[in-house]
Amino acid sequence: MVKLHQVAICALSLFLSPPLFSQASKGGSSAPSTQSIANGKSTFRVACSYCHGIHADGGFRAPSLISGHLSHGDSDDALLNNILHGIPGTAMPANDLEESEAREVIAYLRSLQKPASAPITGSPEAGRKLFFGEAYCSRCHMVFGQGGRLGPELSRIGASRPPEFLIESIRNPDAELTERFVPLDFGSVATTYELVTVTTRQGTRFSGVILNEDSFSLQFMDDREKIHSWSKSELQSIVHEHRSPMPAYAPQQLSDSQLNDLVAYLTSLRGDSK
Amino acid sequence: MTRLRPSSLCFFLAPAFLPVRPFRLGGFFPGGRRPPSPFLCFLNLLYFLYLLISPTASLAQVTNDQLLHSSDTPNNWLQYSATYDGHRFSSLSQINRDNVSQLTAQWIFQTATPGFFENTPLVVDGIMYVTAPENLAFALDARTGRRLWSYKRTLPEKLRACCGHSNRGFAILGSRLFLATLDAHVVALDSATGNVLWDVQAADYAQGYAFTVAPLIVKDKVIVGVSGGEYGIRGFIDAYDVATGKRAWRFYTIPAPGEPGGDSWGSPEAAARGGAPAWVTGTYDPQLNLLYWPTGNPSPSDDGSGRKGDDLYSNSILALNPDTGKLQWYFQFTPFDLHDWDATETPVLLDAELDAQPRKLLLHANRNGFFYVLDRTNGKFLFAKPFAKQTWAKSIDPSGRPVLLPNPDPGEEKGVLTCPGAAGATNWMAPSYSPQTGLFYVSAREQCDVFYTHPQQYVEGRLFLGSMYIPSSKQKDWGAVRAIDPITGDIRWEYKEFSATWAGNLSTAGHLVFTGDLDGNFIALDSSTGQPLWHIQTGAAIYAAPITFSLDGRQYVSISSGTTLLTFSLPQSAH
Repeated sequence: MVKLHQVAICALSLFLSPPLFSQASKGGSSAPSTQSIANGKSTFRVACSYCHGIHADGGFRAPSLISGHLSHGDSDDALLNNILHGIPGTAMPANDLEESEAREVIAYLRSLQKPASAPITGSPEAGRKLFFGEAYCSRCHMVFGQGGRLGPELSRIGASRPPEFLIESIRNPDAELTERFVPLDFGSVATTYELVTVTTRQGTRFSGVILNEDSFSLQFMDDREKIHSWSKSELQSIVHEHRSPMPAYAPQQLSDSQLNDLVAYLTSLRGDSK
Repeated sequence: MTRLRPSSLCFFLAPAFLPVRPFRLGGFFPGGRRPPSPFLCFLNLLYFLYLLISPTASLAQVTNDQLLHSSDTPNNWLQYSATYDGHRFSSLSQINRDNVSQLTAQWIFQTATPGFFENTPLVVDGIMYVTAPENLAFALDARTGRRLWSYKRTLPEKLRACCGHSNRGFAILGSRLFLATLDAHVVALDSATGNVLWDVQAADYAQGYAFTVAPLIVKDKVIVGVSGGEYGIRGFIDAYDVATGKRAWRFYTIPAPGEPGGDSWGSPEAAARGGAPAWVTGTYDPQLNLLYWPTGNPSPSDDGSGRKGDDLYSNSILALNPDTGKLQWYFQFTPFDLHDWDATETPVLLDAELDAQPRKLLLHANRNGFFYVLDRTNGKFLFAKPFAKQTWAKSIDPSGRPVLLPNPDPGEEKGVLTCPGAAGATNWMAPSYSPQTGLFYVSAREQCDVFYTHPQQYVEGRLFLGSMYIPSSKQKDWGAVRAIDPITGDIRWEYKEFSATWAGNLSTAGHLVFTGDLDGNFIALDSSTGQPLWHIQTGAAIYAAPITFSLDGRQYVSISSGTTLLTFSLPQSAH
């Protein structure tokens, strides 16, 4: 292969046409055959898995498709439309697939789908108060222009991540470090929201997150949101702490009912500020 | 001193107006032709004087002899790898390790189109020939970067070029440029105008055939290798007559049933869609009259269940007779590959002493993580050593076959982490060999993938991968330029890069190696130590290899970055 790795992210979805299968199901109401599901798996792996994860449970660039919480519609028709035409305003591209192929992908996703999680019972309003109040979330996270800049912006987090993901991110933020910045160049690795400690040659220490880095320079936001630009020759050390700057909220700090409220609030955030 | 009479002067000048080549001049001296009229003679004289003083030289005529001795004219860059041996070394030394820190941009050319350059430009007598994404191409005034002409190909809407609509460059012979296109045509252009001289279809793009390769000229033939290893094609290498575009021969990289190697795919059906593309320019040994052309992965790349066997001649070097296309020998690096490890890296030819014997060597830093040295007279394996992290082979046995570690194969549901990743420990990015240091410079990638497999039905013109690989999120990938001693395989020095690189290399007699990185830096290294001596941030990832040339006594270095081509030189005052 030429260098598929490098361009898989876009090339596979934007330019290419994952496989067609002659015995494709025509998408009616009958239950999909085992063969349709297997074909859908083949197509999914070639066209979708690089971003959505090999098992469709969320990848490093795109959300889980089997959580039962798809923000752009969970019906077959919505999925079909999104696969064939993409989702404007997101990284999801249109795919050059036949409808029958897309329906096989949907059949495959349905075969993986987990039962929908328990309904969210918390109070979004109570969660909002926690977010901007005693849970200190807004110290680092911004919602519709209110809050800090060190962590991910969350104005549409409810549309992009399911509640289970949010719960894990709050209870155990180190489980998966969120990407900070999708690189412009295929093959580049995105920077993450990882806690990094930088020590200058003069011995001054800064904690914060990396905005960008190459062999010669470092661009950095410290925990006071000050942006630094250093030549690497000016630095004594750059220590990756391999953990999120966000503290883990154990039940002692955030009770289960508070967590429920907070997740209810976050789930309500869908990019619409009204 | 004999006085030169006007009529005899006219004999010397006549060819300027006659449609004959200069070397025929002697032919018509004794022929008893009447001398031209004084008026015509005067015109000839004017034209001759014009040619002498003209700042833009007459149209470049690149001869086979010049291609054979490309290293003798370092003012030009006449072919993809600079010379037939693939060294990408220039004897120019005006820019050297003592003054390289003063390099200054001279001009910048932008296509302002999407995609990114992966090209090696050619430079002939002050004109630079550049190919760009989407089969755009340009001739530029190499002094100023100003465009002389452009070529734009109307491409079909649904191209099947898996990995970007790129092109790696022109070949030139006479006043003809040769371009291999994304819709699987080979085209000859007039180097003065960009006009199409001939255009032949090599294969059907809709079936997944495409060209990204820079062609290679050998004698009167233009040689190209096809892309399409992701589409279940049957790979081939073609030779076309430079004058007419007529196909002289085709070598299928997958033997037909009944031919030697034809039974190495498990079934004829698997062989017929087995890939083995040939998308990187080969090299050529004029003494042995052998063409060395690398081949790529078997299809589908991640699923071997339908193609059990060595899958010949995927992931190999083929030694072909360039006159006939007949196979002289082959060497396969990664039999039954499940990791997409094309052998499409430039085979570099070197005459050197090994074990106290003068040998004709072929050096190959392979995508699978090993640096190989072969005897290029017969394809015999001499030795291999890892040049990057690899987790799949215990060793390479004395015949050149890998001895596998346990469980290197991709998994169906649970992926298998393997180093190098699918993009390889290196890839098509050009290596360089410097006779000044005796070192081989390669862009190495330290990056691993988790490989998954799943059977997939073949459908014509569709991606045929047999599942996918996902970058390992546990490890930060990185890159390096490594200087390998080709006689021992030992790494003499390493220049570390923050990200896994896709840039090629150029070494020069100025004790320099030029390279680029994925973060957009164009970098000059000391070729003896690997010390970085100069760099500039170009603003986009570098996927191309640098070239150098000279004009009016100044040495220039050019590099492509994004869809921008930058050219550097020393300030005038530094000369």
